[in-house]
Amino acid sequence: MNLRAVKASFKQQAIQFAADPQWIIPSIVSPFLFTMVMLYIYQDVTGPIVLQAVLGGGVLGMWANTLFASSFTISYDRMNGTFESMILSPTKVFDVLIGRSIWNAFIGLVNALLVFFIAELIFQTDITLANPIGFFLTLTLTLMSLASFGMLISTAFVFSRMGRFFSSVAEYPIYMVSGALVPVSALPQGLQYVSFALAPSWGVDAIKYTALEGYGGTMGVSLLTDIAMLAVLSAAVLVMAYYIMNGAESAILSAGSAERY
Amino acid sequence: MFAEAGPLRIVWASARNSFVTRFTAMHPILWLFQILITSFFAMYFFAALSEYIGNPEVTVSFVVIGNAVQSVAATTLYSVAEIPGVEKHTGTLGALIQSPSSLFSVFLGMSAFGILTGIFAMFVSLGYAAFVFGISFASCNFLSVGVILLLTCLSLTGLGMLLGSAGIRLRTAAIIANIFAYIGLLISGVNFPVSYLPDWVQAVSYCMPLTYAVEAVRGAVDGASLIDLYRPICMMILLGTVFMIIAWFSFKFFEESSRNSGKTDSF
Repeated sequence: MNLRAVKASFKQQAIQFAADPQWIIPSIVSPFLFTMVMLYIYQDVTGPIVLQAVLGGGVLGMWANTLFASSFTISYDRMNGTFESMILSPTKVFDVLIGRSIWNAFIGLVNALLVFFIAELIFQTDITLANPIGFFLTLTLTLMSLASFGMLISTAFVFSRMGRFFSSVAEYPIYMVSGALVPVSALPQGLQYVSFALAPSWGVDAIKYTALEGYGGTMGVSLLTDIAMLAVLSAAVLVMAYYIMNGAESAILSAGSAERY
Repeated sequence: MFAEAGPLRIVWASARNSFVTRFTAMHPILWLFQILITSFFAMYFFAALSEYIGNPEVTVSFVVIGNAVQSVAATTLYSVAEIPGVEKHTGTLGALIQSPSSLFSVFLGMSAFGILTGIFAMFVSLGYAAFVFGISFASCNFLSVGVILLLTCLSLTGLGMLLGSAGIRLRTAAIIANIFAYIGLLISGVNFPVSYLPDWVQAVSYCMPLTYAVEAVRGAVDGASLIDLYRPICMMILLGTVFMIIAWFSFKFFEESSRNSGKTDSF
């Protein structure tokens, strides 16, 4: 891995974000509104469902950021005409994407904390975390799994210009299978299998273990198994993203099709 | 000398242009796929949420019909409001402002694609409601549903045009459009009765055409005729007209100020 390229792309992504920070808003709006909808349907601001709604909203915020940022990261290069230069440079696109994804994951964390904070400010639920250190640890691990998932999503846009199409189509299904608001156990069997294949779903379960007092788990496993599954699936996704990206890069360089739109 | 094009000709040419450009950028099959997937999962997500929470007042039927109407807002409002921002991003807004055609007519024509998408999304959603979620349409007044559907799209186009006019001056109106496209989920009685909201939010809710659209469609599905639903229908027409008039002035203002300041493409 070219660490200098990772650092440079992280910095470049940060500067780009600072130049136009308003794009964090769409990633906050829908998760926050979904949390509010859940709380209004519940008609009460006490009890475990409230904690689940607020936590779930935060996790959805991370998901939304991963989904939108990852699908736009390559699309913008294509739109702005910088994709060809990037792919022609000796640096691997994968290294560039790692730097960008780490920044996106960091913003995802900010996003999650903003949703927690606003929901807490409005509903004053007085959330007390069962295990604060464990909570931030599992939150960070989940964030890393989302970053690796984001890398996989980004690879698709090396081939295609349909970034917006993918992010708009995938938004609700991903919210659904993430188990953030509606527990995985309440989903139909088919969707449960999809959920089990996604590392962040195990992360959500782990977060709930550390945040909610007396939480019994909805994936049917213990906290340690959740964390193990989270790590294994994230690593698998990262390896998959690496091979797909390298294959795509070679194919584009051979065909000379980088500027095709 | 060329004869100046009338507003209707500009609207027609822009509408045709909007279809050509959209379907050039995205294949019609993908467009169809996007509507089918998004409409289904949006309904399913909230249906599962309401079932999980188990509030007896918020049944799956209540949520599914509400979200079928919301699908119009998510498509029509967003796609209409983002048009000026997209033109700015692709570098064509400057040329449009400098042309003798009024921007309002150009963007009204371009919103035809959003209107069509909204109508189609709602039909798809109502299809899901009947065939997937098992909602009974036995006593439905289909004429009322059809008329309300059209009025919903037109009134939301007025709001979308108003929001979109800000895109001439701002870097993008997509952020505002995004907020308005989703806010209906919370304040328009889509997922729970408007009466659950605080009084001041209810007041805002009744300034949104979507609130009346949701109320009217629920009534029409229960068999109400257009005459029975005159109140929400009149309010939708009124709000749509008011938004369209304000949008006209807003476009005029931003168009003239961009021409005067020479900042037609400021980003």
